[in-house]
Amino acid sequence: MTGTIVFWVVVGIIVALVIYVIGLYNSLVALRNQVKNAWSQIDVQLKRRHDLIPNLVETARGYMKHERETFDAVTKARADATGARGVPQIAQAEGRLTDALSKFMAVVENYPELKANQNFLAVQEELASTENRIAFARQAYNDAALFLNNKVEMFPSNIVANMFAFTREPFFEMEDASERAVPKVSFSS
Amino acid sequence: MFWQVIAANKRNTVILVVTMGVVLALVGYFAGTLVGVWLGMTAYGPEPASGGTNAGWVGMGVALLVWFVLLLAALLGSDELFLGLAGAKEVSHDTYPQLFNVVEEMKIASSLPAMPRVFIMDDPAPNAFALGKSPKNCAVCVTAGLLAMCDRDELQGVIAHEIGHIVNRDALYLGVAATMLGAVTIISDTLLRSLRYAPVARYRSSGTKGGRGLVNVWFILVAFVFIIISPILSRILYFSISRRREYLADATSARLTRYPPGLASALEKIMLSPSILTTAPRVIAPFYTVNPYKQDLEGGLFATHPPLPQRIRILKAMATGAAFRDYVKAYWDVTHTRKQLIPVADMQLGEAVGIRAPSPKAPEQGRAGDIIRAMNDFVFIPCSCGMTMKIPPEFARGVVQCPRCGQDHTVERPAKGAASGILAGASAFTRQSPGEEQTEQRVIGAWQTLTCRGCGKNIPLSPVFNLTRVTCTRCGQLIRLT
Repeated sequence: MTGTIVFWVVVGIIVALVIYVIGLYNSLVALRNQVKNAWSQIDVQLKRRHDLIPNLVETARGYMKHERETFDAVTKARADATGARGVPQIAQAEGRLTDALSKFMAVVENYPELKANQNFLAVQEELASTENRIAFARQAYNDAALFLNNKVEMFPSNIVANMFAFTREPFFEMEDASERAVPKVSFSS
Repeated sequence: MFWQVIAANKRNTVILVVTMGVVLALVGYFAGTLVGVWLGMTAYGPEPASGGTNAGWVGMGVALLVWFVLLLAALLGSDELFLGLAGAKEVSHDTYPQLFNVVEEMKIASSLPAMPRVFIMDDPAPNAFALGKSPKNCAVCVTAGLLAMCDRDELQGVIAHEIGHIVNRDALYLGVAATMLGAVTIISDTLLRSLRYAPVARYRSSGTKGGRGLVNVWFILVAFVFIIISPILSRILYFSISRRREYLADATSARLTRYPPGLASALEKIMLSPSILTTAPRVIAPFYTVNPYKQDLEGGLFATHPPLPQRIRILKAMATGAAFRDYVKAYWDVTHTRKQLIPVADMQLGEAVGIRAPSPKAPEQGRAGDIIRAMNDFVFIPCSCGMTMKIPPEFARGVVQCPRCGQDHTVERPAKGAASGILAGASAFTRQSPGEEQTEQRVIGAWQTLTCRGCGKNIPLSPVFNLTRVTCTRCGQLIRLT
């Protein structure tokens, strides 16, 4: 009598454990897919930015006749970014492109007619949105990676993660030259 | 995201649906029994007990059938219904690029699997709401008033708040609850109204053993079920809506945008705005960013939203970062409590989330009004004096006089769907020229008078007139400007 009770209790515990492990495994897979998805979203938005730049340059060229260097810098940075392969190189090239674009936008400030051009305003909005999207995609990727890493490292989900070879995902840090360029103010003499 | 909140919302939706089924079935059974007993005594002779029991089961069957219909309505068509009730129109990237871009940015930030549909509601009161039973199929809707008064960062804050409702599954729970409640209310109102005429027919036909009397009795039975159930349900809905969900959506917004001042400033503008949403049906009030009925300043027992000033103060108190824990800390500071706003398990995001810098201010704002007019089939007529007349669709006459210079213009209505073209270039409405074309050199940025070659009429052009052609209003001659 007690034997059967013990038997069924053990069976119950095993079934509960299996269900728990299946649940954990599924949530890990879902998280990993989310990480992959977020990563592809970054790619999509970087591509979008590359596609917008020729438009921007074409619209601005008529107004900014004497800014050859600025145009060349943007075009060259774009070419470098399109050609870059491998995560660190891509991150570096995209950082330089962001830099060149922000310099370009600073120069635009001197051309009020250009700033009032409807076409230019439209491209500018698309570009600003794309910059935001890249930032948000990076943020979403890092969030997803953080969730996954927490699950991979924390007890008890780490047991399941190890069983099925889930690994940590690296965070995406984009080279931001302008951020580094901020001068450090020191009050010590 | 808030996994526990999401799970709780899904659970509550199921509980709500099941509870409604049980309540409906019980009420149906009792009402059926009552009617059956009464029927047995009045029309069908001395068998009250058995007649009553059978009628009870039939009553329950009717109630369950109704429940099933409500469930189908809630699961299949409620989004369209609410958008229709609110008078919302879908927009694309072409109609309003900035709004569309902001929504897409937030879609990316929140990793929604699909782009939400974007709607604009033609209402001067600033507000917004989100619908969506799942993140795959959802919609956000903003009013024209909100678009007109918010800059990019503020708009982003509001949209992120709405996306927060979708991600946290508040929209799922509210959608199902409000559809079921709304349908019950509508049905019970309709039945109550038609019941006034029903008794006459019943008394007349109950003596002649016809089927008509029986139909009327069942009709009354169904009406009773609804009349009893509708106030109960509306109470359930009001009490089940947690005001916490608004705080959580604010916290989500701050975290997604990394910029709490954006939403704070938008809420401030909404609070100070004098206009009240006119098109909002009461059933969908809980959906909005702020309660459209302006009870939010005090926050009473039946308030569906927490008080606005408090929400603003919390967002403004988030000085250290934009993470969930920063929001909770600000909430504690402002309310002087230690209430656990966010479930501990959802707070595990260990990393610090910085606040970003505000985005640069756009040089041009406020074309939202024109976009709404274009969507509502207004006709835009540019006058040569620089004035642009915006003619509403109700305007019946074919000719309109410019209020500034007195010229007459013909009103030509474009085919439906041509609205977005109005905004791209306003030249679509000038009349086709009968004679040969005339070309004139345009002096940019100055007053200029053209003489029409067809009839000799002098046409003044103001410095702001920037179209490439003009039509003589007397003879219809087309003049190209180069």
